[in-house]
Order: sequence, then C-alpha cells, then structure tokens
Amino acid sequence: MAASTQTLAKPFSRIYGFGSIYGKTIRDSRFSFLIAVGIFAGLAMVMGTAIGSVFKTPADRVAVDKLVSAMPAAMVNLFGNATLMGAKLGTLGGYMTWKYGAMFFLGTAAWSILALTGTLAGEAAKGSLDFVGSTPYGKRRIALEKLGAHLTLLWITQVLLALAITASSNTFGNAALGDQIPLAGAFAFAILVGCFAMFFGGLAFALAPLLGKGGAAGVSAIVMMLLWAASGLSIGGPLVTLSPFHWTAEMIPLVGLYAWPGVILTGVLGVVLLVVGVELFVRRDMGVTMGLSLPGLPQDLLGVRGPISRAIGDQLPRAIAWGLGIALWSALLASLVGSFTTQLTGEQNLTQIFSQIFKGYDFSNAGGWMQLYAELFYIFVGLAAATFVSKWASDETDGRLEAVISGTVTRARWVVAGGIAALVSVVIMTVLFALGIVLGAASGGSGAGDAVLGSASLGLFAAAMVGVGFAVGCLWRTSLAAEVTAVVVIATYLIGMFGPALNWPNWVTQLALTNHVGKPMIGQWDMTGVVASLVIAVGGIALGAWGASRRDIER
Amino acid sequence: MTAVIELAKLTKTYGKSRGIIDVDLQVNQGEVFGFLGPNGAGKTTTIRTMLDLIRPTRGTAMVFGIESSADPVSIHKRIGYVPGEFALYDRLTGGQTLEYFANLRGGVDKAYQASLIERFDLDTKKRFKQYSKGNKQKVGVIIALQHKPELLILDEPTSGLDPLVQQTFFMTLRETVQAGSTVFLSSHILSEVEKSCDRVAIIRDGRIVKLDTVDGLRDLAHHQVELRFAGAVPADAFINLPGVSELVAADHVMRMRVAGPITPVVRAAAQFELLDFVSREPSLEETFLAQYGNAAAAEAGTVSDGR
Ligand SMILES: Nc1ncnc2c1ncn2[C@@H]1O[C@H](COP(=O)(O)OP(=O)(O)OP(=O)(O)O)[C@@H](O)[C@H]1O
Ligand SMILES: [Mg+2]
Repeated sequence: MAASTQTLAKPFSRIYGFGSIYGKTIRDSRFSFLIAVGIFAGLAMVMGTAIGSVFKTPADRVAVDKLVSAMPAAMVNLFGNATLMGAKLGTLGGYMTWKYGAMFFLGTAAWSILALTGTLAGEAAKGSLDFVGSTPYGKRRIALEKLGAHLTLLWITQVLLALAITASSNTFGNAALGDQIPLAGAFAFAILVGCFAMFFGGLAFALAPLLGKGGAAGVSAIVMMLLWAASGLSIGGPLVTLSPFHWTAEMIPLVGLYAWPGVILTGVLGVVLLVVGVELFVRRDMGVTMGLSLPGLPQDLLGVRGPISRAIGDQLPRAIAWGLGIALWSALLASLVGSFTTQLTGEQNLTQIFSQIFKGYDFSNAGGWMQLYAELFYIFVGLAAATFVSKWASDETDGRLEAVISGTVTRARWVVAGGIAALVSVVIMTVLFALGIVLGAASGGSGAGDAVLGSASLGLFAAAMVGVGFAVGCLWRTSLAAEVTAVVVIATYLIGMFGPALNWPNWVTQLALTNHVGKPMIGQWDMTGVVASLVIAVGGIALGAWGASRRDIER
Repeated sequence: MTAVIELAKLTKTYGKSRGIIDVDLQVNQGEVFGFLGPNGAGKTTTIRTMLDLIRPTRGTAMVFGIESSADPVSIHKRIGYVPGEFALYDRLTGGQTLEYFANLRGGVDKAYQASLIERFDLDTKKRFKQYSKGNKQKVGVIIALQHKPELLILDEPTSGLDPLVQQTFFMTLRETVQAGSTVFLSSHILSEVEKSCDRVAIIRDGRIVKLDTVDGLRDLAHHQVELRFAGAVPADAFINLPGVSELVAADHVMRMRVAGPITPVVRAAAQFELLDFVSREPSLEETFLAQYGNAAAAEAGTVSDGR
C-alpha cells in the first residue's frame, strides 16, 4: 500500500494533539495547566506588588517580627517556619513563605491529586479506557505516557513559578530590606512545591487503581491535610514523622535557607509512589475497584425513600469527610490555646502588642485564634460547598436526571431536594467544626468562647456558595456549576487578601462576601453578611428551581 | 484449522461474586463465532479477559497462540475491539476521535477509513457528546474496523444501531471475513447470530451450556406433539418410546416432547382411534428461549448471581 494513503501522526501531534496518548493527555490538560499557571505564577507576581503596601516601612516589618515571635511556635509555623526565619520574616520571601507558602504547597499538590486520579481511574470509570487499553500499547506504556504528561505540565508550571517569583521580587521588592529573591532561591522553592505535588499526587495515583477516582482523591487530600496540620502545629508522635512538611521544615529557600535532604526524600518517595501506581495499574483489573464503601449505612440514611433522602444519601459521605477534616483542624488549633494563654499571662508587653494589633480579640479562649485563621476556614468550607454542588450536578452530568424527572418528580422538586441535601451537608460540616472547637478547647484547658456560635458564619458562607452553584447549574449548565462555585470562592479569598493591600476600588472589595461577615468567632457579627448569605442561599436554590424548568436537560 | 482464540477452563471471579466459570472454547481462523447469553451471563467478562483488560482467576485465554496476560500488546496489534459499554471523549469530534485511535495504531489506510465513514453515514464534525446513541456506537465500530484487524472482538456491536445500519454493519463484517478476518461476536439476539455466525456458544450463569454450529443448534430443535384420542389416553404405550419426554396426559389429550425422529410416535399412535394429531417444530428462537428459561427455572431454586 502506498504510504501516502496511510494516516501518519504529525510529529508535533505526538507532543500536543492526537498523535499519542501523551500528546492527547497534554491537550486534555491545557486548561487546568493555564489555570494552575495563572493562580500560582500570578500569585507570585501579585505578592511582589502587594508587599509594599502590606509593610510600608522597615518599622512595620519589625512590628510583625515581634508579633510573630510572640506567638507560640505551633501556631505560627502552620504557615512556614517563622521561628527559623527570624528577622527574615520581614522580607518579601519570608512573608510569602509564612503567609502563603501553604497555598503553593497544598494548591499545587491538590492539582496533582486531581490530575493523577482523573487520568487513568477517571477514564476507566467513564469507559473510554477500554478502547485505549485494546490498542497496541501495554498498560505500563499507557500509564507512563499519561503520567509523563502531567509531570511535564507540573514542572513547566514550577519553572514559570520560579521565574515569576524572581521577576516580581526584583521588580517590586525593596532591595535595601532584602526583598529580592535570586533565581536559585526561587527555583529551589519551585522544586520544593513540585516535590510535594509529586508526593501527594503519587499517593493518589497509587491508590487510584484500588479505590477508584473519587476514593483515591479523597483519601490523599485528607492525608495531605492531616500531615500538614500535624507538622505545622508541631504535634509530636508518629504522624509528624511521616509528614513531608516536617522533613522539609528547614527548607525555606525564599529566605535563603536550604535543607535538601528532606526535599530529596520527598521527591524520591513521590517517584516511588508514582511507580507503585503504574505497577498497580499494570497488575490489576482495569476498571475494577473496591471503591470506598461505607459499611452498614442503614437504608434510611442511604436514602431511597424520596428525592430528598436520596440526595442526602448521595451527599452524606462528602459531608462527613469534609466535616471531619475541618473538625480535626479546629480541634488541633483550639487545643493549643490553653498552653498559650498560660505563656502569655505575666508577659505584660506581649499582651500589649496583641491587643494593639488585634483590637477586640480575646486570645484567652479559642475564639480569638479561630478568627485569626478564619479566612482559611472560609475558603475551606467554600470549596466543600463546591463539591456538594458537584455531587448534585452529577445527577445531570452522569445522565441520571432523565430517569429521575421522567417519574413523578418535577424538575423544581429535584432542584429543591438537591438544595436541601446540600444545605444539610453544610450543617453537618459546620456542626462537626464547632464540635471540634469545643472538644479541642476543653482538652487544652481553655474555653471555646464565641467560636462555637461563630462557626455558624462558616455555615452561612458555605450555604451562600451552594446557592451560587445551584443558580449557575440550573440557569446555565450543571457541568460548570461546581467550577464556577470554586472560582467564586477563590475570587472571594483573593479579593479579601489583595483588595485592601492593592487599594482596589471599593466596589470590588465589597463584592467579597467575606468582607461583610464581621468577626463572628470573637462575637462581632455583621448582619449584612448574615442576611446576604441567607438571601443568596435560598434565592439561588429558588432561582434554580425556576430556571431548571426553562431549559433543556443535558445529555 | 488454526485456533485464533482458545479459552481453557477460563474462570474469573470478582471478589465473591461470579464472573465466569470454566469457560472452554475455540474460535478458528476465518470463522464468525457467536457468543450468546442473557444479561449478566459473563459475555463481557470473557471478552475483557481475552484482551487482558482483566486477569483470569484461573485458566488461560490464548489469542493467536499468545497467552493474553503474557503479551497483550502483540494481541492488541492484531485485533479490533468494540466494548459492550463504552464512552469516548465528550469534547472531541468523531473525526478527532477516529484520528486519535488511528494514530495510536499507526498506518491506517485513509481511504478505507473514509469509506467506512461514508458507509456508516457518520457526521465526523460533531462532538461525541452531541451524537445520538446509535451514532456514538458507529464511532466505536469504525475505531474497531478502520485498521483492518485480523480478529474482530465485538461485544454487542449492534446495540443502538437502526436496522439499516445493522445491515450495513453485517455486510461490512462479511467483507472483512472474506478478506480473511476472524470475528468473535457477543450478542443476546439470536436472529442476528443465526444470520451471521458459523458457530455459536451459549453462556449462562457464567458457564458454557452449548457450543455448536448454527445448523447444529437447529437440529437441537424438537417436536412438540399433541394427540387427541377418542377413548382413554394410552400413556403407557408412549412413555418408553425413544426420544419422548415431558409426557402429560389429561382427559383425552396427551402432550409430549419428541427429540429426534418422530416415526416411533406416529407408529404407536396409528394403533389407536385418533381424533387429532398436531406436531409443531419450535423455532430456533424458542429453543434458545428454552435454554434461557431453564436458567430462570434453575435459578429460582438456587442463589442468584450475587449482585
Ligand atoms: N466489576 C465487577 N464487579 C463485580 N461483579 C462484576 C463486575 N463486572 C461484572 N460482574 C458480574 O459478572 C457477571 C457477568 O457480567 P458480564 O458483564 O460479563 O455479563 P454480560 O454477559 O456481558 O451481560 P450483558 O448482556 O448485560 O452485557 C455478572 O453477574 C456481573 O454482575
Ligand atoms: Mg456485556
């Protein structure tokens, strides 16, 4: 046969396009890659410009140093080891590591977890992997090409991150204050971030052939949060020795502190986990997973009685997983309050610094501390809400909806039932969070203060995000509902973080719901936020119920 | 005759639940082999084991003389496969999807690909998500055919295809067989197997219960005989005749099932005063349903398949 009549993959399409499994995986990941670069390299750029307004004068930086050194190590180090950084905390690199380092570590690792569970396990669950699996490539080759594609994009992102850090710190930083970060330091930071991502992504990849996509992603994310909290909060014991965050605690490249062995260990173990993932995929049956079943869940909870109980049954595992995750976090934090209060009493000038900077905060109970970390809790519960929306939306995106509404259930009822279930999930999560505070505080010998009631504010925010997701899902399309919700959550967080620092116009900062909630953990409620949240939650679902009957059901 | 597929005591269990048990069969070069069975019988399980998508619990699956789990790539090079249940990439068009799988194979004859697209009347510009059910199936079928494989493994390939397209499909199948290919076709529709296959295996509850040529299956057919007598029913005269079973007598009527030649029954009947003699040959469909029916009857007394 003449060669000209045969299809021949164009060389470039093997790298990007339909020429190879690798090329197609890269192509499939193009949007998530752009988003990752946008978030992380973008964050690095913005941070450079923000530093000037956060710390206007050298004196400001000294004040922050003092403050940080006054806080108990356990609480400060959750966000990068401030104790080790010492005075360098006041530099751009120091501040960036301390306040936002975790965003880079956890965020990038979360991307890897999602990508590496979505690629093989996701395709297997969907059913397209059977076709790929019957092409003349071994399973190992298929797994390696898919893995290679993600690693390529991960490391390109890290290179761009390093360049962005160097560019931004050299352009906007104050050289006299030591803000400028050399290329080597920026690259070392990016390598650290990449190694975390390989480690937790590798864990997810290794679990995926056993647990399937959702189970593997969920377990690895929870393990990641646990190990991060265990290391940052300096809880001794076996857990912390397992934590890559602990192994690399002394690696703070943005302020010129290097400790490579921990990084290398993390990276090597990451590679080992990835190899395990490939081998498990090769050895195990394609598409046959154990899943993560909840043993012995009673029929009533699983819910087959009606649309509401069915929807709640669908959501329950997520609600409990998110709830336990955030409860653990709140319990750990609250349990440290007691010892800190003891340390603080008698130190007159420390108490003074605190009351100056944090006016109205009462640090003798858990409330003050919870408020200090509130912005992270909001983003956490907001993202949880996005996953509740995603579960509801999957009714339509997975094609169940036609069967559901072809019976006696109307579209509006489906939306309302889903909405109620999502709100119930929010309540479950919030109650677990509050319980965590109570138990944690009690175990550490302090009170919970206003934080228990304040937890409700998190619930309200999450409920509002549910409302956003439902409105988007019903008025536009369910396949984008969860994504849009997540974007709103992250945008809210970014506005809250950078709006004031960068002097964004008032109307922009007003857009962030979290700017209207007051400080509920220390008893300062802003009713605007409460009302707005309720209106968005209920209104979003109601709007959805109305909108869902006005559009086509997607196939 | 060379065996293209050889399954020996092939067994696959999913944890505690049954997949297939001791499946033995051989498919020879150039034949169209039908694999029939009701839902959940184990057709897909058998096929996925042959392709090393899942691994046997016991026994072996050899394709082209290669053990499937030993060197699946060499097998995959020579086969085309339509999975029983599949999805493809929602956001890619049919054309992009075909291009991708052609690239993964390398060296697909473009003219042949185009002729298949035209034959099956597939609009390659639409995204997979936007295709109707049958059009999605067409994409899967073309992926399996476009590289002219030596062996086609088809898991309920006609599901969703309209009768006209089914015709096109079987015509294409015949051509590929004439060109030397072998076909393994799973189905639960007897008539399509009857039309297109040389030999058939029937699988039920994970076990092969019948393996024969299509003609052989027809021989398997029996007569359902009904006699009406003027006097009392002389059951004793019939009960021991060769081939007679399931004899039921009531009033003046006697019914029985007769396998093989019907002559002994006719001879015996001639000795009595007869009001009526009805003999009916069930269709292959009925024979087949009887096979299924037995399964249902057997299952009623035992534990079901564990789902
Ligand atoms: N991943 C799995 N886990 C547990 N059991 C399974 C799994 N896949 C298949 N089975 C079981 O194996 C048996 C055979 O299933 P299989 O899919 O092979 O049937 P089939 O003959 O293809 O049916 P159909 O005509 O419905 O496609 C069924 O009882 C099924 O429940
Ligand atoms: Mg099947």
